[in-house]
Amino acid sequence: MLSRVAENLYWLGRYLERAENVARMAEVNYNASVEQRATGGDDAELWTALIGALDAEEEYAAAAAATPGLSPGDWLIFSEANPNSLRSTVSLARSLARELREHLSREVFEEINLLYLSAARAPHTAGMRPFTASVKRTVAAIVGLFDNTVLLNEGREWLRCGLFIERADMTSRIVDAKYFILLPSPEDIGGTLDTYQWMGILRSASALEAFRKRYRGAITGVRVAELLLLDDDFPRSLRFCVSALIRHFERATEATPRHQSLPAARELALLQLDMGAAEAEAIVETGLHEFLDLFQARLARLHDAMTEGIFLAVPTATSAR
Amino acid sequence: MGDLLSGYRTLAGPDEIFAPDGTIRHAYAEFAERLRRWDADDYRARQAASDLEQLNGGVTFTVSQDQAGTERIFPFSLIPRIITAEEWAVIEAGLVQRVTALNRFLTDLYGDQRSVRDGVIPPELVEGSAGFNPHMRGFIPPLGVWAHIAGIDLIRDRDGIFRVLEDNLRTPSGVSYVLENRRTMLNVVPDLFPTGSVAPVDEYSDRLLEMLVAVRPAGIDADETRAVILTPGSYNSAYFEHSFLARQMGVELVEGRDLLVHDHHVYLRAITGLEPVHVIYRRVDDDFLDPLVFRADSALGVAGLFDACRAGNVTIVNAIGNGVVDDKVTCRFVPDAIRYFLGEEPILPNVDTYVGALPSDLDFILANLGDLVMKPSNASGGYGIVIGPQASRAELQAARERLRSNPSGYIAQPLQEFSTIPAFDGERLEPRRADLRPFIVTGASSWVLPGGLTRVAADSVSYIVNSSQGGGSKDTWVLRPARKA
Repeated sequence: MLSRVAENLYWLGRYLERAENVARMAEVNYNASVEQRATGGDDAELWTALIGALDAEEEYAAAAAATPGLSPGDWLIFSEANPNSLRSTVSLARSLARELREHLSREVFEEINLLYLSAARAPHTAGMRPFTASVKRTVAAIVGLFDNTVLLNEGREWLRCGLFIERADMTSRIVDAKYFILLPSPEDIGGTLDTYQWMGILRSASALEAFRKRYRGAITGVRVAELLLLDDDFPRSLRFCVSALIRHFERATEATPRHQSLPAARELALLQLDMGAAEAEAIVETGLHEFLDLFQARLARLHDAMTEGIFLAVPTATSAR
Repeated sequence: MGDLLSGYRTLAGPDEIFAPDGTIRHAYAEFAERLRRWDADDYRARQAASDLEQLNGGVTFTVSQDQAGTERIFPFSLIPRIITAEEWAVIEAGLVQRVTALNRFLTDLYGDQRSVRDGVIPPELVEGSAGFNPHMRGFIPPLGVWAHIAGIDLIRDRDGIFRVLEDNLRTPSGVSYVLENRRTMLNVVPDLFPTGSVAPVDEYSDRLLEMLVAVRPAGIDADETRAVILTPGSYNSAYFEHSFLARQMGVELVEGRDLLVHDHHVYLRAITGLEPVHVIYRRVDDDFLDPLVFRADSALGVAGLFDACRAGNVTIVNAIGNGVVDDKVTCRFVPDAIRYFLGEEPILPNVDTYVGALPSDLDFILANLGDLVMKPSNASGGYGIVIGPQASRAELQAARERLRSNPSGYIAQPLQEFSTIPAFDGERLEPRRADLRPFIVTGASSWVLPGGLTRVAADSVSYIVNSSQGGGSKDTWVLRPARKA
């Protein structure tokens, strides 16, 4: 498989997963903000928290200054000027799919293309719900179609690597959003508002139902952290994503010469060590935000190691067979 | 409820469906019977279904002048061109004859130029041609094949005879639309197909791959031959086709940066290391293939590719240098080349052509420009064409001046009243001029894809069918011979 193709499949996995996550986060936020307004509260803080968790405060501030009245929701979902908006992410995924077309099945390409065509037409005025709902459904369809209609070679493994590294990053950001929503006072910890906010975090990660099944009692920060960071069986938890990443990375690089000594393999081993030793109570005690920051930094290093050490590595002429 | 076929008006040239006496031609009899079941609303609904299918499938081309790389679907008309088995037998034989002669002609022009000495073509039109590549002197490609994939543009004239308008021997495109058009037709208008008598087209990719393996470098086993398609990238106007053919054949689609030349051998930069490449079906023009030999500023090619080709370690498909016989000037001399190399009369005649580079032809063009179509010798895509009978006095004067200042830059042909085929304009069927580009694949022998790409002009006034000028396409049906009872 061409290095360029492997890299593009990896990025396709990232963009698809990113689109799905942004759609879900925005949807939950939108519902919560409608509720806030209906009950007379201020919904602006919810959007500020989401934008903060996505590390996009500066970009949004600049865009809002240039276009007065630009709502954070529109900027996150529809803005073509925002390279990370849902619409832009869908466009990026589709350009990659077009470049990769001979590595996808007709069915997979058509789903991505249809999503892109509907994104190009999605009107602001109808609200974000129809668009976000179609993104969530279509991404699931694409991932499923890929596994059922495409030759399952190392290309599929690179797509999965992209998907799980993005999911790990996104889940960590969803949990981190709690850090950006301030409680009025320290006494509110464990109170109704606190619980309500954690519930929003669970919804953003499609994890509320899983939480109910896992725990009988109250929604607390420690339990949310345990489920979203460390649960072995919940498919969006950080630990689950890291295990999946390791599995797919090993399969993707099986035939790569000296694959065990690749810098990316080392970064993955470090991530696994971190996750193996972690305990929810200790994490919350010493600082959830700090833990997540460190985790995100490790993912970024892993990404760089894959890009520099694998996709862009110049094969030497002597390695010709 | 109006019958779609009633009230159809033809133009000056012949029409493919209607004979001059207004009756339906034999080839279209069953089709017309089926089409008569539709009214304009039916047609509109089917057209919408067809457009949506092509849009959703990404069957698009990129408009080249548009920097943003806007993608459009190629306007597609549901009324096919239908060719009878008897007509096709002549076309097929004529195309094979022509391509065979052109390959011999190329070997000769890059070899000892016997044909030039014997007066088949004036020497200044060979070595002075922009398409002549001096680096290829003395080169003979595997099996003597230069034009592996040829697209030869035909029109049907006033007398119903198919004539050659132009040879395309460099990187002719359009075959993916032939295959996609057929797929769309089968999905959207299955009820228009006559019973069991249209020749299928999906054999193309197998024949193409078979050819790519057949022309592999000496010393490589067929089983280990690695062929790839080289594309300029996803912004190229024909990218859809490059990707389509790669998918159909199951070969890798590569860009220049994915290849590397070491010690005159070509390799693919695979994630697991370098892998040898033996045959490159390139969709990149000669000038951009190798920055060491051709345009140094090109990022689309591969440094060292040319030497690897000359060393015989990789086969470039189509060969480098074919431009010398496929420009509009040399087209004039191809019938003589057929006679010279094969000792046969050409089966398919040329459209009469006058070349500015020949003094007698130049005088003729200057005197008769008002009745001629003048074209730049080295341009494609329908750009820069002056249509004498439609041009204003000032336009004709400007064209004469361009011709005088650069006679070898232009050719002229009589305005062809070539045949029309109906297309639906939203309300009714209207005549559109149409040409036909059959595709000929040549390895150990030549194979002609039944039919080819039928291109139609944008409106009933236009004589230009190129997609860059708003033209569209149609499916092309070659009918199988009628079974003897």
